[in-house]
Amino acid sequence: MAADLLDGEGAQTPNLDGLVKFDLKVLAADAAEVEAEEFIPVFHRWITERVLPELLIDVADYSHVHEGPGVLLVGHDAIYAYDLSRGEPGLLYSRRRETSPELEGIGTLERRIESLLASAFRACDLIEAEPELGGRVVFDRHRLELRVNDRLFPADEQTALTLASAFRRALAEAGVRDGDAPVEVKQIGEPRERLTLRTG
Amino acid sequence: MSQLTVDTTATWKQRLKGRVPPHLDEEIDIFETQIAQKRQGKIDDKVFAETRLRRGVYGQRYDNGQRHDGTASRALEYPCGDLTKGPNTVWDAPGMLRIKIPFGAMNGEQMEVLADLAEEYSDGIAHVTTRQDIQLHFIHIDDTPDIMRRLAAVGITTQEACGNSVRNVTACPLAGVCRDEPFDVSPYAHAMTHFLLGHRDAQDFGRKFKIAFSGCEQHACGLANMHDLGVLAQVRATGNGTRSSERGFKVFVGGGLGPVPHQAKVLREFVREDELLPLAQAVCRVFGRLGEKRNRARARIKFLVAKLGIEEFTRLVDEELAVLPADERWTAYLDRLDVADEHPTRLGAALEPGPRPEGFAEWLGTNVQRQRQPGYVTTAVNLPLGDLTSTQLRALADTARRFNGGLVRNTVEQNIVLRNVSEADLPALYAELGAAGLGAPGASSLVDVTSCPGTDTCKLGISSSRGLAGELRKRIADSIRTAGVLADEAVKDLRIKVSGCFNSCGQHHVADIGFYGVSRKSDGRTMPHFQVILGGQWTENAGSYGLAVVAVPSKRIPEVVERIAGLFVAEREKGESFQQFIARVGKARIRQLLDDLTKLPTYLEDRTLYSDWGDPREYTLGDLGVGECAGEVVTAVEFGLSAAEREVFQGLLELDRGDAGTAASRAYAAMVQAARALITTENIDIGNEPDEIVGEFRTRFYDTEFFFDPYAGAKFANYLFRVHGDAETDSSEEAHRRIEEAQLFIEAAHACNQRISQVQAARVA
Repeated sequence: MAADLLDGEGAQTPNLDGLVKFDLKVLAADAAEVEAEEFIPVFHRWITERVLPELLIDVADYSHVHEGPGVLLVGHDAIYAYDLSRGEPGLLYSRRRETSPELEGIGTLERRIESLLASAFRACDLIEAEPELGGRVVFDRHRLELRVNDRLFPADEQTALTLASAFRRALAEAGVRDGDAPVEVKQIGEPRERLTLRTG
Repeated sequence: MSQLTVDTTATWKQRLKGRVPPHLDEEIDIFETQIAQKRQGKIDDKVFAETRLRRGVYGQRYDNGQRHDGTASRALEYPCGDLTKGPNTVWDAPGMLRIKIPFGAMNGEQMEVLADLAEEYSDGIAHVTTRQDIQLHFIHIDDTPDIMRRLAAVGITTQEACGNSVRNVTACPLAGVCRDEPFDVSPYAHAMTHFLLGHRDAQDFGRKFKIAFSGCEQHACGLANMHDLGVLAQVRATGNGTRSSERGFKVFVGGGLGPVPHQAKVLREFVREDELLPLAQAVCRVFGRLGEKRNRARARIKFLVAKLGIEEFTRLVDEELAVLPADERWTAYLDRLDVADEHPTRLGAALEPGPRPEGFAEWLGTNVQRQRQPGYVTTAVNLPLGDLTSTQLRALADTARRFNGGLVRNTVEQNIVLRNVSEADLPALYAELGAAGLGAPGASSLVDVTSCPGTDTCKLGISSSRGLAGELRKRIADSIRTAGVLADEAVKDLRIKVSGCFNSCGQHHVADIGFYGVSRKSDGRTMPHFQVILGGQWTENAGSYGLAVVAVPSKRIPEVVERIAGLFVAEREKGESFQQFIARVGKARIRQLLDDLTKLPTYLEDRTLYSDWGDPREYTLGDLGVGECAGEVVTAVEFGLSAAEREVFQGLLELDRGDAGTAASRAYAAMVQAARALITTENIDIGNEPDEIVGEFRTRFYDTEFFFDPYAGAKFANYLFRVHGDAETDSSEEAHRRIEEAQLFIEAAHACNQRISQVQAARVA
C-alpha cells in the first residue's frame, strides 16, 4: 500500500504530542560496496570514544538474518542500526525514550520529529565521514521513512494525516525539500504494520 | 482546527481489559506493584531479583554499569543513578525477557504478538532458545508489565521462565506426527506445565528444574536423559488376558548438563498416565526439602540424586507420594487429551512430478520429514543462530495459516517446525518460505550450528559462541557449495553445538563436535579459546556425554572442524559412526591432530587471535558478571512475607485514595499472609482459609511463644488476633492503625523467620 497523504489542515486532528517511540530510517543512496559487518568496529569505537552525546551501551550483530536489522548500536534512549530491512540498506534511528539532556523539553510532535531528523542526520554525517568505511556509504536525506513504533496509538487515517502534516513541517524546518517544492509524503505498508510514512 | 479525542494516556492494561485471563492479570499487577515498591526502596534487592527472574525478566551483559572497551573498564552512566533491580544490577540497564513456550507450540496470533513486541520493545529479533522458548533482548524493566499483558492476552506467560523454578517444559517437536512414538506426549507436557506452574511444592528450590517429554527412545527427541525429570512415552499390555494396553511413561530423574553433566537415572520403569503428575509433585517435594540451597554449584537435583543414590531417592519419593493430599488435577486433564491436537487443514496428497523451484531438492532432503499420517510431512525452518525478524515471524504466521492452520513448534535446535503440511503443497510452501528468507536448507545438519547467547548478551559468557557459530555456518556452507571436505555425506548429519562457557546452555556435551568457551593467558594478555568436546551423542535422547580434548584459540576453531571432519571422512570404517570412530582412534590422536593449533603466537606476531569473533575489542574477561542462571536463593517463607509486604503496600495506596474499608481489609490480609508464610516452614500443606491459618499460627507460634518479640512479647501476634473475625471498618483512623500494625506484624514475622533459620542451622551443625 502506498497512499498519498494530503495536508490535513482543517480536518479534525488527534493530538500526538505524547508519542515518544518513533523509528526514522534514512535510506542509503549508495552502499553496494559495504558489508554490514564493517559497522561492528565502527560502532564499538563510537561507544569507547563517546562520539554521541548520549549513553551508548552495546553493539549487536544480526547481519546473518535475511533483510534484518543488520548491525545495531544500542543506546539507552535509542538504537542506531545499519538496517537491511525490505532489502534497502539505511541508517535506522529508533527512539525509545528521552532521558538525555539534549532531548529535554520536547513538547510537540513537530518538535519531536525535528529532533528525530537531527539525531538521524548526525549519525549519517558521522558514518559518511568514517575513515574505516572510506566514503563507501552515502545516504539520501530525501528518502526517509518515519514510523510510529507504538501500537497503543491508532494507525488510522486521521493519525496518518496529522503525522504527515507535522513531518512535512519538520522536513521544511530541517531544509529537506524537493527542489523548490515540499517533499512528497506517502503512507506505506500493510494495515497491520506500524504506521509508516515515506518520502521520495 | 478542532482536536479529535485520541487518548494518549491510554495504557495496555486498559486496552486489553477483559482479554487477559484474571489470574495472569492479577499476577502482572502484582509485579507492577513490586516494581513500584522497588523504586521506593520498599523491597529487598535479592527478593526483587528472584521475583523478576521468576517472571522471566533476566539480566544481560553490562547491567552492572561497567563495560570494558579492550583497554579499560568504563562506567555506563545510566540515568537511574543508584537504583538497582537486583544485586549489582542497574535498573536502567537493558535486559533479556524469556518467554515460555510450552513444548514450543505457537499459533499465528501468538507469533504476530511476539513480532510486535520484538519491534516495539526489543531489537526487532525473536530468538528461539535451546529450551523452545522465545527470548527478546535489550528490554527495559519498566516495559515488562505491558509486554506480559500483551503476551497474556494471547495465552502466553513468562511466569517461572527463569529463577529457581520449573522452567519451560519441553517436548519432541514431532510429537503427535512422529512415525516412531507410541502416542502423542503433547497433552501430557501441557498438563505438566499447568499443574506445576506456581505450584506451592515447586517454589522452594535451590536451583532451576527442567522437565522434558520424549516420544521415543532411539532419537534425540526430547533429550530425556539430560533433564532433571525426563519422561518417555511407553505402552504396555495390561496383562489381563486381553489384547488391551495402557499408556504410561518411563521416568528419569537427576540428569543434566552444566559444568558437571550427569546421565539421568531411572526413577520408574513405568508409571500409568494417572500417576505421572503426583509423581512429579513428589519429586518436587523431595527436591525442595532436601536439595542443596547454599552451595549453588551443587544445588541441581542431579547432585541430590547422586548423593542419596537412586534407591534412597526413590524411597523418599514414595514416602511423599504416600502422604500427598489428593488433587483432582492429577487426573482431570485425562478427559481433555485433545487439548494440544493439531489437525491438517489441507488434503494430504503426494508430491506431484513437475518443475521445482531452485534449491528445492536440497531443502527437501534436509528439512522435510514424512509424518506417520500418510500424505503429510513436517518442514523445518532453519534459523541462523535461532534468530528471525519480526517481519519473518509475521510472514511465517501467514504461511502457516495457509498450509496447516497456523501452528508451529520451536525446536531445541533453535529452529521452527511446521507440521501437517500436505506433501503436494511443498513447492508452494518452499517458495513462500524462500520469499521471506526462511527457505535455507540444512536443518538439523552440520551447517545448523546451535549456540547459546555467549558474550553477545550473557553475563557469564567467556567466549563468543554466537560469533563462532556464525562463522562456522558460513565456512560449512562455503565448503558444501564448493564440494569441500564438509560436503561429504559422512559428516552431513553431525551436530555442532557451542556454549560460551562451561554451563552448557548450548548443549555442547551432547553434540558430535562440541565447544565451550574458556580463556588462556599468552604473552601477558588473555586470549579467547574454546574447549573441543568429543564423544557426545545427540541421538537416543542424548545418549552419552562428550569430554574435553584440548583448548584451541577461538579464531582457529573452524580449522579444528575441518581437520576432525577430514580425519573422519578419510579414516572411518564401513558403517562406523562418528562416536565409534572417536572411541577407536582415541583422543590422544585427535589431540595430536590439533597440536599445532594450540601453539600461541605473541601479540605482535598475530593480534587477531587476541580478539574474539565479531568483536574487534582486545579480548578481556573484564565484562564477566554474576550470572542469574541460578537465581537468588529466596525461600518460600521469604516470598510469602514479600507478598504480605506487597499487600500492606496496596493497603497504603487504598488509604491514600480514601478507601478506608479496603485499606483495612488489605492490612488484615497481609497479616494472614505473613502468618501463613511462617506456618509453611512446619506445614507445607496449610490451606488458604484465614480461620485455619490463624488457628495454626496460634498453636505453632503463639502458644509456643516462638513468635514473641524479646521485648514486646505477644504484642504483635495480638494485632492479628484482634482483627481476625472483625476485619471490617470504614474508619480511616482505624485503617491507618491497622496498616501500621500489619507492618509491625510482618517485621515480627521476618524476625521469627530468622530465629527459625538459626535453629535449623544449629540442628544441621
